[in-house]
Amino acid sequence: MNARAKIEKFLDTASRSRLMVYACVLGLIALALMSWSLFDQGWIPVMMAMSVGQGIGTLSFALFLVIVIIDLRQAEFRPSLPPERPKPKGD
Amino acid sequence: MLYYLVKRPPLDAAGKSVMLLGVGVLPIMVAMIGNLEGFAATERQGFCGSCHTMDMWIEDANDPSSESLAAIHSRTHKFGGESCYVCHKDYGMFGYAMTKLGGMGHVYKFVSEWMWYDRDEVIEKIHIARPFKNDNCMQCHSTTGKVWNEVADHNGLLDDLRTDQTSCASAGCHGYAHPFSKSGEETPSEAAAHSALQAPAPEGG
Repeated sequence: MNARAKIEKFLDTASRSRLMVYACVLGLIALALMSWSLFDQGWIPVMMAMSVGQGIGTLSFALFLVIVIIDLRQAEFRPSLPPERPKPKGD
Repeated sequence: MLYYLVKRPPLDAAGKSVMLLGVGVLPIMVAMIGNLEGFAATERQGFCGSCHTMDMWIEDANDPSSESLAAIHSRTHKFGGESCYVCHKDYGMFGYAMTKLGGMGHVYKFVSEWMWYDRDEVIEKIHIARPFKNDNCMQCHSTTGKVWNEVADHNGLLDDLRTDQTSCASAGCHGYAHPFSKSGEETPSEAAAHSALQAPAPEGG
């Protein structure tokens, strides 16, 4: 199975609610790390916020985007234009 | 996010819109504010002094009775709480980026080696990475003023000072910026340069 097939299988079978739980947990950790540097400006909090914190935050947002992609793949799109009316027979 | 973890509401359009605020907009805003504040924090003395190896340098800079260059400059408003950064940053087009890169090098050295040093070892083993540039002094002391040029040592060494051949912050000139960290011996080249210069003759003398 190639990489594309693996990704498609993952998008078809992944649980959205579980992904959202992961996104929330990671988002909270990222917020905590990034907020820490606003109160304690030593080198560890500042560097953690600007590297690990932002990395985890990006991962959290990426998981959210995966959920959106899953929804888009499963959505049924209606045509935006109404179907063409049949012409009257007399014309 | 906490609400979702506790209540687990359905992930419909409204739920996802709210989660977009929590997982996307809020962290991005915090990251942007954190970046601004973080970069500003890296310019403050408190940041430089947050490594224990810098304790003595910060203590000297903030000592009101100290006569070192670092202390004298730290007492002025222009330098104040950012005196480490104002003196040690690289000036020039890429100065900000190069200063930050240099700072990352300090972090690497601290984590890999310096953090194991105690107070006495720090004095012996830590030294400035590159010779201190007179360019940094010349951001304020332009070397073009009349009063400045009337000093014989300044005038005689003008080219050397502008090309970093002689350091402003050397034992023979204005002294080391952090003299407690030096052995106190004047280097032979500096001693020779200054002994060759004559003090200006007093007026009317």
